[in-house]
Amino acid sequence: MATNKGHSAVRLLWSLLIPAFFLMAMPALTGVGGLRAQESGAAQADPGPPNTLGKRSDAEIWHDLRLGAGGIANPPTGSPEAGSVINSEGWEWAKLRNPEKSPIVHYGAWGLLAILGLLVLFYLIRGPVGHGEDSGRRILRFRLSQRIVHWSVAFVFILMGLTGLSILFGRPFILPLIGKEAHSILLTAAMQAHNLFGPIFALFLLGLFVHFLRGNFPSLVDIKWLLKGGGFFGGHAPAGRYNLGEKAWFWTAVIAGGALSVTGFIMLFPDDLATRNTIHLSELIHAIAALVMIGFSLGHIYLGTIGTRGTLKGMVDGYVDENWARAHHDRWLEEELEKAESGDQARETAEEGA
Amino acid sequence: MTLLELLEGPLWIASASIFVAFAAFRLIVILFTGRREAEARPAGSPFLGALRTILGHFLPWRRLLGNGKAWFVTIAGYSFHIGLFVLLLFAAPHVEFIREKIVNLPWDPIPRWGFILSAQFAFAGLITLWLRRFVDPVVRLISRPDDHVAAGLTFIVMLTGCMALGEQSAFLRGLHLGLVELWLIYFPFSSLMHTFTWPFSRGFTGAMAGRRGTRA
Ligand code: HEM
Repeated sequence: MATNKGHSAVRLLWSLLIPAFFLMAMPALTGVGGLRAQESGAAQADPGPPNTLGKRSDAEIWHDLRLGAGGIANPPTGSPEAGSVINSEGWEWAKLRNPEKSPIVHYGAWGLLAILGLLVLFYLIRGPVGHGEDSGRRILRFRLSQRIVHWSVAFVFILMGLTGLSILFGRPFILPLIGKEAHSILLTAAMQAHNLFGPIFALFLLGLFVHFLRGNFPSLVDIKWLLKGGGFFGGHAPAGRYNLGEKAWFWTAVIAGGALSVTGFIMLFPDDLATRNTIHLSELIHAIAALVMIGFSLGHIYLGTIGTRGTLKGMVDGYVDENWARAHHDRWLEEELEKAESGDQARETAEEGA
Repeated sequence: MTLLELLEGPLWIASASIFVAFAAFRLIVILFTGRREAEARPAGSPFLGALRTILGHFLPWRRLLGNGKAWFVTIAGYSFHIGLFVLLLFAAPHVEFIREKIVNLPWDPIPRWGFILSAQFAFAGLITLWLRRFVDPVVRLISRPDDHVAAGLTFIVMLTGCMALGEQSAFLRGLHLGLVELWLIYFPFSSLMHTFTWPFSRGFTGAMAGRRGTRA
């Protein structure tokens, strides 16, 4: 309540100050009233108070300013927004980003909580998905370079996620818990780390794209997998190297991660890369893409760790048990075994895994 | 005395002294504890062998030039080390600190973008190299807890430094400094000593190989 009162007082003060400032500065800044004031001043013997508004109505002048009336010095000529004093779209953006009322913060928080809740529920009801006994025979699933790239992305993603969520949720959720002083420290730390690690994330993501593209294109077997509910509720769902869920994650990570990277760079270099509208749009896309990617990653992390037995091993050691592969990626296993039978693959496999 | 004053005063002196004293002690031990003379007749020059290994190991082994792993280690290794040394010795806040506490460095600090970029190179290298210790079966086998502590401490020192980049908070500055001091204390007793010992270990291996008429 106190903050709201404080906010409305501040807003009232601004709403009085801003027009007052423009009224005072108008003759100096614009050609609109200023020129006329000079003309009429020269024509009269007794100048009297200058006619700051000329013969035009307030509404007309504000209308001109909103549309970027020419001849205005601020922002300076040469900048992408020269000539525009008022940015009306900024109001819409401010509404969306108001920390207390923002739908992004509101739905974002509920969305992430809902996903977490569903995962807990699924774990309690279904438990970890297994694949029967281990066969004792192993097969290479991820090469060393794929494993390093994967964990590098994951590591930086978690860092970006934690710092980014602190920035997004800090004011409404963290500040009331830890107070202004600690919150300000947390936020400057989070922002600096977020800005520095952003380009590293973009670079690693590029590596992820290159290393995991093969096998992530859609195929007919995805439909069968979907019809079988992915095998999550019992039964066997056929899949190639990656199943439909994994493909969806890969493309979400690439597209949302790509959007995060591009919009992130725009916000890192706002003066060189963007107008205010582009920055506003970037900020919105950035927040939404982050929430989508974090939400999806919760499911991915669940399935990659406690959700499916034996999966994590593949991304750590590189090898999975053949029965794991038979249960989760039977088509891929068949292909690999065929290749191995046809000769050199087994040798190559053993060497690559080392 | 506030905690920050303690960190900037007595604790800084204490940790820096431990670092200097024990690192010097280890180097002296390495250099002056004699080894038993090799008795076999030398088949080649130990000196040339040492020189070749000290310089040659800056590049991947020729037989591994086609190997992606060798390139990864080389590029990530340089990225981390060069990034770290640039930011350590040329970033404005460090130059200022070193000038105030240790020695009047004769060079000007690099611009801020250079600082950030070198930190990014350092982080990218350190993260990939450290993660490799977990997922490469061979490197995992030869990694000791000390290697992980050394990498982890270095990472956390760099991370807190990066978090303090806003230069707005005494707490963050103190956190970074405190961890630097912990790092300094850990340094002489750990694999971080390779900062100083690498020429000796390379030289020794190279000299032994040179003496036998082989290459290290
Ligand atoms: C702590 C976090 C994470 C854990 C525990 C984890 C775990 C795993 C595991 C075990 C696999 C192997 C799945 C299989 O064998 O099919 C995997 C695959 C994969 N992960 Fe992660 N992961 C994490 C974070 C991430 C992040 C942040 C990204 C991307 C931004 C990512 C992208 C991928 C991709 C692309 C694959 C290959 C399968 C596919 O194309 O969907 N992972 N992950």
